[in-house]
Amino acid sequence: MTNHEHERAIELITQNGVEEIASADAAWLQSHLAMCTECAEYAGLVSSTGQLLRSVAVTANPALVMTTQTRVRARATYLHEQRSRMVLIAISFCIGAMSSALSAWLWWRFGGWVAQHVGLSTAIVEPGILLFLLLPAIVIAGLLLVFPHPIFEGSLMLGLAGEHEGEKR
Amino acid sequence: MVATAFSSLVPMETEEAQIARGLRRRDTDLLDALIEQYQHRLLRYLLHLTGNRSTAEDLFQETWLRVLEKGHLYDGRNRFVTWLMSIGHNVAIDFLRKRNPSSLDEMQDPEDGAPFEPEAGGPSPLDMAVAQQHHEMFDAALSQVPPLFREVLVLRFQEQMKLEEIAQLIRIPVSTVKTRIYRGVMALRPALKGGRQ
Repeated sequence: MTNHEHERAIELITQNGVEEIASADAAWLQSHLAMCTECAEYAGLVSSTGQLLRSVAVTANPALVMTTQTRVRARATYLHEQRSRMVLIAISFCIGAMSSALSAWLWWRFGGWVAQHVGLSTAIVEPGILLFLLLPAIVIAGLLLVFPHPIFEGSLMLGLAGEHEGEKR
Repeated sequence: MVATAFSSLVPMETEEAQIARGLRRRDTDLLDALIEQYQHRLLRYLLHLTGNRSTAEDLFQETWLRVLEKGHLYDGRNRFVTWLMSIGHNVAIDFLRKRNPSSLDEMQDPEDGAPFEPEAGGPSPLDMAVAQQHHEMFDAALSQVPPLFREVLVLRFQEQMKLEEIAQLIRIPVSTVKTRIYRGVMALRPALKGGRQ
């Protein structure tokens, strides 16, 4: 008998029981097992393993099931709330972006009107309006650059984190 | 039990598709029913994987929480139980990575070494005692089998999964599944031989 035949037999033994094997393969396996003691032994071991594993009874505690169901429901509620919050944040962001774009356009028009009536050059007014719009972001960026990060984080970020820690406690 | 209730009324594809739809909606009633339906199979799998009852129970809860969170990824094309077991497998792997042991065997609690309760069979007390002893020997032998092999043995012989399903679940080639089954069975050989005598 060749190694290939043993390999084929082992493969068919492994498939047998759960997966369908062709009748020709089943007949070949039977004839092989009648001649090969090693493969016949393996078939016996597979059969015994299956029987013993199927006879092992493991049951979940009803309390475990109930606790799991409660935790799953609580998490589902949390995820639902989180999703609702995200939708609100997204809507707020869109409204904020739209109002910013609109107000920027209005300020720009106002700058043009001022330049026209006061007699200032648009070369001065337009950069001025741009600076006015970007001023808050420039100030914050400047603060971040001037102050070392750990100090800045210590004063603001850690303050926020401390609040969270307090909540946990 | 929602899943059980409709399993007898509609074909399997429809049942899996309904579960997928329910999971996308995060339907808690459906999840309650699924937890009830698959409680023993999942716990049994995790118990065999970890060898420790309390760890398996923790992972059982984590698995269902992950099913809730990742439910939208289940497309209903494969059997739900295969997907559920793959989630359980990943949860167990994540747990091991956090604990960082060299193998699953290190999770074995010596005081919790015999977590399984074999069903005693046989009409006479002697038969029951022999069967009990045989089961205990088998459980002890099974706990000595490397987890990689133990896992495929449980999925194959206890959960009656196809080789392709096991390969899909553990994300290994089918040929590796076959090899692991062979080596797992051969590792149990002394205990099985002892039981026959």
